Amino acid sequence: MSFAVGFIAAIAFALLAPVLQFMARAFAWSIAPVILLAIGAIVSHGFGVVLGVLIVPQFRYWDAASIFAFCVMGYVFAFGAVYKSVSLEILLSLVDRPERTAPLSEVVERQVPHLFQGRAKILVDGGLVEQVDSRFAATAAGRNMAGRIGRLRRFFGIGDTGLYDFID
Amino acid sequence: MNMLPGPTQIAAICLSAALPLLLMCYARIIRGSGRRFRLGCVSVVVLFVIACIAIPGQRNLDDVLGGLFLLATAIMLCYVLFSLLAWGFTLTLLTSLVQAGRPLTSEQWAAAYMQGGDIGTFAHNRLKLLTGSGLVMTTDDKLAPTAKGLAVTYLVKLVRLSTGLG
Repeated sequence: MSFAVGFIAAIAFALLAPVLQFMARAFAWSIAPVILLAIGAIVSHGFGVVLGVLIVPQFRYWDAASIFAFCVMGYVFAFGAVYKSVSLEILLSLVDRPERTAPLSEVVERQVPHLFQGRAKILVDGGLVEQVDSRFAATAAGRNMAGRIGRLRRFFGIGDTGLYDFID
Repeated sequence: MNMLPGPTQIAAICLSAALPLLLMCYARIIRGSGRRFRLGCVSVVVLFVIACIAIPGQRNLDDVLGGLFLLATAIMLCYVLFSLLAWGFTLTLLTSLVQAGRPLTSEQWAAAYMQGGDIGTFAHNRLKLLTGSGLVMTTDDKLAPTAKGLAVTYLVKLVRLSTGLG
């Protein structure tokens, strides 16, 4: 029964999270989508715990929390996969064309630089990079974040190219 | 309300915490971020199975199921963070700009990102992922989605719609 309560809380999250995303866009909230997901998870988890305490005589928190965490993480995983994937954006743009095909050169020379500019704008909007005339420079916040990322990458032995390693 | 996790769930929580440390250890001995992550996952799953067998006392199905859910959650969380670090486009853009140590034009930034290569190298790398997984095919220098690619596109649109991304 505790698992059922956790699953109900996960359904509540799956209903609440898109509503929060829609509201953020409708009211132009400057809250990152990931923060909205975290808010949705905290609220629905709280709802699940209260529901469990009220309706299950021997409510086992960790049984409910385990299935809730699994479902929510699955949701976040899917969300992250479709949110800003360069590969999927290329695929979607191909399918959205009337003829469903595009010259390789056009994708390489036009679409990918466009994606590049979009990501640069995200960094500028996020206060991590500043644009002075036609040049870009990292802000203090950007340098701090880059330092943290660099330390984590060294910790996990990850290179800093951002490319897929097809030697696998 | 019982707030205490069962023995198998405790094992799963401990293994979840150990996964990043395991990945750090593998970083010294295994090449390739993807291969290393897969091996890390297999290791914690094997250790979880051993824990399920080795922990004394009678097994409780709810406890084992909860442990499995917790471990799977940790693996997904680690994957999301690990993939951001390893293959994150935006994060790598930022680190490449900081490493350059001076303001860069858009073209210079792209070159710094590719560490001597050009944006085409990056484009081909991402396209290789699409062609390698059978989502896109290349014919006469033209890209077109395969049937599998079309199915994935519909799935992506469904996920975007249902998660509020539009």
